[in-house]
Amino acid sequence: RRQGDSTPKRSIQLSDIVEKRVFNNEDAISTPKRKPKGDDNDIKRSALKNSAIIRRRNSTTAVAGAMTPTQKLKMLRRGELSPTMENRSTTALSASVKSKSDLQLARERLHVSVVPQSLPCREKEFDNIYAFLEGKIQDQCGGCMYVSGVPGTGKTATVTGVIRMLQRQQQADELPSFDFVEINGMRLTEPRQAYVQIYKQLTGKTVSWEQAHSLLEKRFTTPAPRRVTTVLLVDELDILCNRRQDVVYNLLDWPTKSAARLVVVTIANTMDLPERLLMGKVTSRLGLTRLTFQPYTHKQLQEIVTMRLSGSEAFKSDAVQLVARKVAAVSGDARRALDICRRATEIAEAAILPKDSDHVKSTKKFVSIAHVQQALSEMIASAKVQAIKNCSCLEQIFLQAVLAEVTRTGVEETSFLGVYSQVENLAAFEGLNMPTTGNCLRICSKLCAERLLIAESGRNDIFQKILLNVSVDDIHYALRVNGI
Amino acid sequence: MHGDITQIRRFLKERLQRDYTTLHGHEAERENVRQLLQRTAELGESNSLLLIGPRGSGKTTLINAVLADLISLSDFQQNTILVHLNGNLHTDDKLALKSITVQMQLENAANGKAFGSFAENLAFLLACLKSGNKRSKSVIFILDEFDLFCAHHNQTLLYNLFDVSQSAQAPICVIGTTCRLDVIELLEKRVKSRFSHRQIFIFPAANTFEKYLDLFKELLSIPNEKELKQITERVNELKLLNSDELTMHRNHYNPAKYKFNKKYIDSWNNSVIVLTADAKAPALSSLRTLYEIDKTESFLKLCLFRLVAQLDPDSQQRITAEQLSEIAATYTADPRVELLCGLSVLELCLVIAIKHHSEIYDRDPFNFEIIFARFAKFSKISTTMQGIERAVSLKAFERLRHMEIILPISSVVGKVQKDFEMHRLALTYGQIKDAIQKYQALPTEVAQWAQSSII
Repeated sequence: RRQGDSTPKRSIQLSDIVEKRVFNNEDAISTPKRKPKGDDNDIKRSALKNSAIIRRRNSTTAVAGAMTPTQKLKMLRRGELSPTMENRSTTALSASVKSKSDLQLARERLHVSVVPQSLPCREKEFDNIYAFLEGKIQDQCGGCMYVSGVPGTGKTATVTGVIRMLQRQQQADELPSFDFVEINGMRLTEPRQAYVQIYKQLTGKTVSWEQAHSLLEKRFTTPAPRRVTTVLLVDELDILCNRRQDVVYNLLDWPTKSAARLVVVTIANTMDLPERLLMGKVTSRLGLTRLTFQPYTHKQLQEIVTMRLSGSEAFKSDAVQLVARKVAAVSGDARRALDICRRATEIAEAAILPKDSDHVKSTKKFVSIAHVQQALSEMIASAKVQAIKNCSCLEQIFLQAVLAEVTRTGVEETSFLGVYSQVENLAAFEGLNMPTTGNCLRICSKLCAERLLIAESGRNDIFQKILLNVSVDDIHYALRVNGI
Repeated sequence: MHGDITQIRRFLKERLQRDYTTLHGHEAERENVRQLLQRTAELGESNSLLLIGPRGSGKTTLINAVLADLISLSDFQQNTILVHLNGNLHTDDKLALKSITVQMQLENAANGKAFGSFAENLAFLLACLKSGNKRSKSVIFILDEFDLFCAHHNQTLLYNLFDVSQSAQAPICVIGTTCRLDVIELLEKRVKSRFSHRQIFIFPAANTFEKYLDLFKELLSIPNEKELKQITERVNELKLLNSDELTMHRNHYNPAKYKFNKKYIDSWNNSVIVLTADAKAPALSSLRTLYEIDKTESFLKLCLFRLVAQLDPDSQQRITAEQLSEIAATYTADPRVELLCGLSVLELCLVIAIKHHSEIYDRDPFNFEIIFARFAKFSKISTTMQGIERAVSLKAFERLRHMEIILPISSVVGKVQKDFEMHRLALTYGQIKDAIQKYQALPTEVAQWAQSSII
């Protein structure tokens, strides 16, 4: 029986019947849903809609174009329609590798998205995770691991690198086969959607979380012969923790079932997350197999950058060293170092371009220490001093008045009235026309929007409390150099 | 002559209000953003950027100007999808996601409506972006009021956008504009790590008074025929930008419909230059007042609009220094004082009584009883204010409260009777003094009483 002939849920109307005859036999016709009371324009309207869809998108197949949105949604939920992005119209994409300059190539290699085949400076961690996962897969039992470290220290890259290695071995039949499922806490709208995502990666279907939960429960708790091991990677574990912690509990409880053969690798930022946030029973299930990724030292950062640049002479070695030392001193974040290097190549390129026309060959394109310095100042320095310098005259006087009031009272919190009397003094001293309270309130709210000041919200008018959000030295420095 | 002046007025007004793409100054920043976007479009690089600057400093105009530059390149126009989000409109990730789905014309959107739940939309968007590679179209996300997106739950949207820009997926470029200087501190550490820390600071272009004057002249002068033609071409190219969210091209000012008499333009432009020609020109002092209050372009445009609106073929054919000083005066005048001048004598007497009370007790809060007693002492011996009933004064007191000249102390718990509720005075003493001087036909007794609290 064809799907299209199923009985309509609502009363059959003439318009529906006519609509059915319009379609070919091959077309799948779903039950007419929630039609408004017999309205003949329906067919016309739906036809219009369909044609509109066809006009708007022709990237998908013709069948997909002729569907109603509801049908499409159903197909999406069944996983029959793969999501796509529109492709570029010009086939000859950008430029071939040869026409790219040295700097451009370097910039491309330095992009954070280009993950190298083997991560430098993470060999020990790689071996650690590899040994754990390989052991679990060989033994065909379940287990948990907790990986922690500050952002940008190569946690996810290392774990996915291990998995890739294992998958390669599995293809070469050196290892029993296994499934790999990956979820990320930040890609979910709420913790329970984790069930949906896991189920979707196992079967390709999208169902509600209750259903996904019970199906997964059934899958992992009932013993089945020839079940393969499943490796589950949970990124951003702390987001999955809600007050009840049922999701985390379930994810960590399944590996303890002998039927499940589930290996869970969890990744988060804080080292003491299990003790700090998780309940006792969850911490107990998480176990003590843990691994911490230390922030990169300056030597390691330098190695990472030079390895990406291998072969190209776009960077001077001391330039790389400067980046590595500056970043290692702040956070040890590899993304930061790579981004700064990338910005430095852009600056170097922009600096060379105008000269290029004069003598094409003589200029060697490389990133020197001066370019890096500029990139560093762009990406690390704060602009508060500059912002104060660029304030209008009255705004600067207002900031000075806040400062004066803070020194007068000795308390950090000042009230607008006190500041205003200081403004009057300063304005008289500078020989400016007296600013009105209205203007001063305006200036105050403008400075608050910039966050040079912090003021109470609400309509407290001249009684609002004001806090200085920049350091006293910044104001002194900015205003003395400027000399208002 | 008649026609010319109305045309000039209309042209200037339109240019002040609806010129969304002309940017004055900021050459380096503009070039920086332009190259970033161009690389995203042509080479398929993924980037993220924050534009930071005070309100009215031209952040949105910069983006619009860059888009107007790039839209004429067919490469850019065919290979990019623009997605425009605003933190004030898209107040949570759910709305933002629906809007992204519609603007990218993904498969689960039809006729401007996105289907499926929030979780499904997110999963589908991520799947789409993940399926893309260097061969797919670049997506440019413009997030206005970026700091409001930081307040969303878990910063899910920001994390995902930045994460896509840092992984080998479809090329996207995330541009955020905000006026908060410390916006980076609002990001969670994992979001912060994924952001590429490119920040471009935009401060008002007119950082000296000379540049401010140049800007003033530029905003008032009429371009010649050749320049008009160039602008017309530029505006016409904007039509290529077919985005439903980015609406600047729909209502952009178009100089094509204006044609000026060449001689008249010259004399007009000359008059504008003469206005600020020498160092002693009277217009300069009023311009300097405006500059001292606020040096952003948007504020100047606001003032100029009022100036231009006064042009009239019959009476006012040129912009004069007097007009300028009049407008500057409105910004230096205190509206509170004007409000006080509109009070009745009884209300003013109450304000004076409040002032006396505040002076004596150093801004202690007061209630109606205290003030009425003080006022009654005066009215008993005055010849004009005798015989005013208590109820009438209470009404006057309430009116002061409605005008927010006095503010109730909100921390009062429970219901207090009207006459006993405590208030604060929301004025400075200087404002009251000014008002008493300016007040029309104030009885001498009251003026004298205002001088001293001793009766």
